[in-house]
Amino acid sequence: MPRNPVKDQVAIVGVGSTGFSRQGASRSRDALVAQACIDAVRDAGVGKQEIDGVCGGLPRASTVVSMLGLPEVTHYVNHPPPFGFTIVDAMNAIHAGSADVVLAYHAMYRSPFVSRSAASDPLRRHLGWAGEPIGRPWRTDPEQLEGSPGYAAWASRYLHEYGVRREQLGYVAVNNRTNAADNPLAAMRDPLTMEDYLGARMVRDPLCMLDMDVPVDGADAFVLTTAERARDLTDHPVLIHAATTGTTAKNDEDQISGLGHHGQQVVAKELRAKSDIWVPDVDVYFPYDGFSFITLSWIENVGWCGEGEGGAFVESHWEKEANRIMIDGRVPVNPHGGSLSEGATQGSGHIREAVVQLRGDAGDRQVAGARSALLTLGGFFFNAQGLVLRQG
Amino acid sequence: MHPLSDAELVDRLPDILINHDNKAFYRGWLERRLLLNRCLQCDTWHHPPKPVCPECWSDAVVPTPVCGEGTVHLLIRLRQGPPADGVDYSTPHPVATVELAEQEGLRYTSTVIGDGAADVAIGDSVRLTWIERNGAPYPVFERSGASSASER
Repeated sequence: MPRNPVKDQVAIVGVGSTGFSRQGASRSRDALVAQACIDAVRDAGVGKQEIDGVCGGLPRASTVVSMLGLPEVTHYVNHPPPFGFTIVDAMNAIHAGSADVVLAYHAMYRSPFVSRSAASDPLRRHLGWAGEPIGRPWRTDPEQLEGSPGYAAWASRYLHEYGVRREQLGYVAVNNRTNAADNPLAAMRDPLTMEDYLGARMVRDPLCMLDMDVPVDGADAFVLTTAERARDLTDHPVLIHAATTGTTAKNDEDQISGLGHHGQQVVAKELRAKSDIWVPDVDVYFPYDGFSFITLSWIENVGWCGEGEGGAFVESHWEKEANRIMIDGRVPVNPHGGSLSEGATQGSGHIREAVVQLRGDAGDRQVAGARSALLTLGGFFFNAQGLVLRQG
Repeated sequence: MHPLSDAELVDRLPDILINHDNKAFYRGWLERRLLLNRCLQCDTWHHPPKPVCPECWSDAVVPTPVCGEGTVHLLIRLRQGPPADGVDYSTPHPVATVELAEQEGLRYTSTVIGDGAADVAIGDSVRLTWIERNGAPYPVFERSGASSASER
């Protein structure tokens, strides 16, 4: 059995979010991060002098320390997305005693390459593809699978091997849009029909515009501390019950051994062994949806159904009147709208929504009696991660 | 002919990030040879180029020509994409990951050109060929064998 001494020992006690937008371009990334962080710290009810850990990515953690004037910090680390890396590090740092109160943040900031309105902002000209300060680009020819094309390519294999229909990918897109309608933070809230999905512009065939997450500006932030400390701060802490990341030896996009062996299987196996709570008993499920096809793959890999059956599964758990997936009539999937409709948050939105749901603060979209959440973030190659959160 | 210096190599392929681990691979391009790393110790191939063999950790990895035969394993058709010499997205641009004959799971990704490229599909046999892009050779695939859309 994998060891899990950190089980239920670290709590998320504060969240903040700017909300997400694909319009406008007049704020800096740092301004978004500052707002989300300040809101999260106030939500947690801690003073800024108590924060001794900062985990993030862009901007760098040390930049956030100076921007927010955090007096003395003993753990500050920069992580690549998806956001699970950041949360796992914050959890480990707290449990190990590297820090007691950690501020973790993630910013989404459109580069000129992904958005016309961002391209109209002259103050973004220095940003590269992923929003990093521009340097030499990586290979620029179209015949490489680094980043997004890798998922389109494996989607082609998925449809080929399992005979999954595009309409079945469409259920993921429609579900997330339906859910986003109730989420004031979401960038895309207009209703979406299956006809809209099937008629959407193809980008990287077999995937269309609506199979891909939406580039946005925005930031999420979290405050984490020990479960013990959390009990003094709040009546409704959310505990990290289990967490892991996972990858395999062959993780270059075009070299993974196949759909049956990549990071998702590693995460599912490890997380399941570490957790007392699993499918089908969780109350709300957050599969990553940077691409619709990743969601179907996660649904299969955590065991809601067998390999290649994800499309048929969402079809058979479709609630027609509500226009969304409801697993076993009980478990909603990405109730905030996910990356496809809330915005491309690299998982921070999924984690924030899980916390809000488990606190019972989700308003119109509250999942009745939600006590546990399963989150499976990231994709296949070098970015799969998973969390089980539960009410404290 | 003298061997191309590292500086000359970088000048010939200015859009590619070339380093000490992949320079032999890109030198191969300029000679129209697709050279993938093979381990002298355990005979395992790997790609993209790494400084040691991921199987046995030997550093005796040698850029070695592949025969160029393979099967389409993954396939997307780009309706838009980065600007590239000779690529016109007004017709969908195929990007195929080809499983090479040398070893199960050893793959190379490029486009497919020539007869039948428009309806190439996963499972089709292809072989390596070369085009010119930005004044330098560029490895691509063309269909080989008898399979066609109507026979599948």
